[in-house]
Amino acid sequence: MAEQSVLRLGSHGFGPSQLLVMAIVNRTPDSFFRPGDTWDEQTAMERVRRVIAEGADIIDIGGVPAAPGHEVDVREEIRRTAGFIAAVRADFPDVVISTDTWRHEVAREACAAGADLINDSWGGWDDKLAAVAAEAGAALVCSHAGNQLPRTRPHRVSYDDVVADVLRHTQLLADRAVAAGVDRARIVIDPAHDFGKNTWHSLEVTRRLSELTATGWPVLVSVSNKDFVGETLNVPLPDRLAGTLATTAVSAWQGARIFRAHHVVETRQVLDMVSAIRGDIPPARAVRGLA
Amino acid sequence: MIVSAALCPAAPLLVRDLTGADEAARDLRQACLAAVAELTAGTPDVVAVVGAGDRTGAWNGAATLDLDRYAPGPVLANGQGRAAVQRPPGEPPAMAPGLPPALGVGAWLLGQVGRAGGRLLQAVGADEPPGRCAGIGAALADSADRVALLVMADGSARRGLKAPGYLDERSAGFDAQVVNAVREGRLDALLSVDPVLARELMAAGRPAWQVMAGALDGRKVSSEIRYCDDPFGVAYLVASLRVRADP
Repeated sequence: MAEQSVLRLGSHGFGPSQLLVMAIVNRTPDSFFRPGDTWDEQTAMERVRRVIAEGADIIDIGGVPAAPGHEVDVREEIRRTAGFIAAVRADFPDVVISTDTWRHEVAREACAAGADLINDSWGGWDDKLAAVAAEAGAALVCSHAGNQLPRTRPHRVSYDDVVADVLRHTQLLADRAVAAGVDRARIVIDPAHDFGKNTWHSLEVTRRLSELTATGWPVLVSVSNKDFVGETLNVPLPDRLAGTLATTAVSAWQGARIFRAHHVVETRQVLDMVSAIRGDIPPARAVRGLA
Repeated sequence: MIVSAALCPAAPLLVRDLTGADEAARDLRQACLAAVAELTAGTPDVVAVVGAGDRTGAWNGAATLDLDRYAPGPVLANGQGRAAVQRPPGEPPAMAPGLPPALGVGAWLLGQVGRAGGRLLQAVGADEPPGRCAGIGAALADSADRVALLVMADGSARRGLKAPGYLDERSAGFDAQVVNAVREGRLDALLSVDPVLARELMAAGRPAWQVMAGALDGRKVSSEIRYCDDPFGVAYLVASLRVRADP
């Protein structure tokens, strides 16, 4: 079992016990959760301002929904995200900015505009992505999406052992990233819940997340309001917060370090609570029985 | 000779245990069980299950679906609602590794209606051309005196915005042609289903339909459609096909 070490994002270094909230800011009209909420640039910037105040460590900016739908080509994805990343960088020089893309052309423009992290949820579909990360000195998320093409839904997927498949693929991508010149301290792995997985698979990955954290690579989990939460609790989109937070807590307890989230305040509280239970941080204020 | 045939989707969610506490797709499952019950009621010598797979080949008739591939974890291993205790690690599932899910789901349906023995599981390659599919069907028809044919086949998985393959507008017309051919007992028409278009529309049932057409070549067939809908964006068709005695 490998030890977790310092994760470098931009000019920051984060130790293993620092749990990071990655706030989602979609520059899309049609993402699954609150579609179009931050399609308008000014509204998007207001959300960035708010989530930073709420305790977000990383701003994850994406221009293409994960679900299939209207084609968003490279040019349009760059148009939606690169200028906005530059604007966020100008207003918030210290915040970690992530570009949510699987395309190396987009990642290159995003990094030039100020992104520190390339968040690829599609399992390294574009094999030039790691070279772009290396060239830009950026961090890279190495994820598992089964054999799904970007923007496709899982259909009757099955695995001998889903966790073994996740381990094999994410470590393969991580090794390739190192070989391509990405800084070892800037590599993150992500099992990518729901991507190439049915609900049982996403639950299994969560149940056995410690097998991923045991690799020593920092683990990102992206579970916010996803379908596996909805199916597990039989609740529609607006009612998935409790399930999201439960999954967040269980993942944090097993050593995940980055939590991609729509609800920053609640996620931050859950992570602080887990950190306090683990003994990594003290309670904010403890007077009960002590007065 | 084929004495009866049934058409069911190859959806893993037919397997009750895979849908969790909620009995999802109950109507569909009931329709399939009714079709399979009728299929096996005539005490055939053998039930031949045919479904698409990576490549053409016959499987051990006792093979069953490996549920652990779809629903890993302690819940199914220990039974619904019972205490979730981990299985002994490394315990191998008593399954057939690589069994195409279409055949596994078919075997599950047969198990549900109490048909244990006399099974033949035939995979047909997803890229097998229509003529070869028909040939496989003819061979199945000759495999015993009284053969019941269980065809595990789906229409397009691109029937809506929420469908597994997203919406392809061509799917409705494509599936309607298949349904009409089955409804009217014009099985020869299935041989002209274009493999390329079927693939584009994620209609995984194409080779199995064409095996059925080959198996029932020239026979007069009357059909009962038991289910025809797409609640999850995949075209599901359940039908009983009765072979008429007159030549």
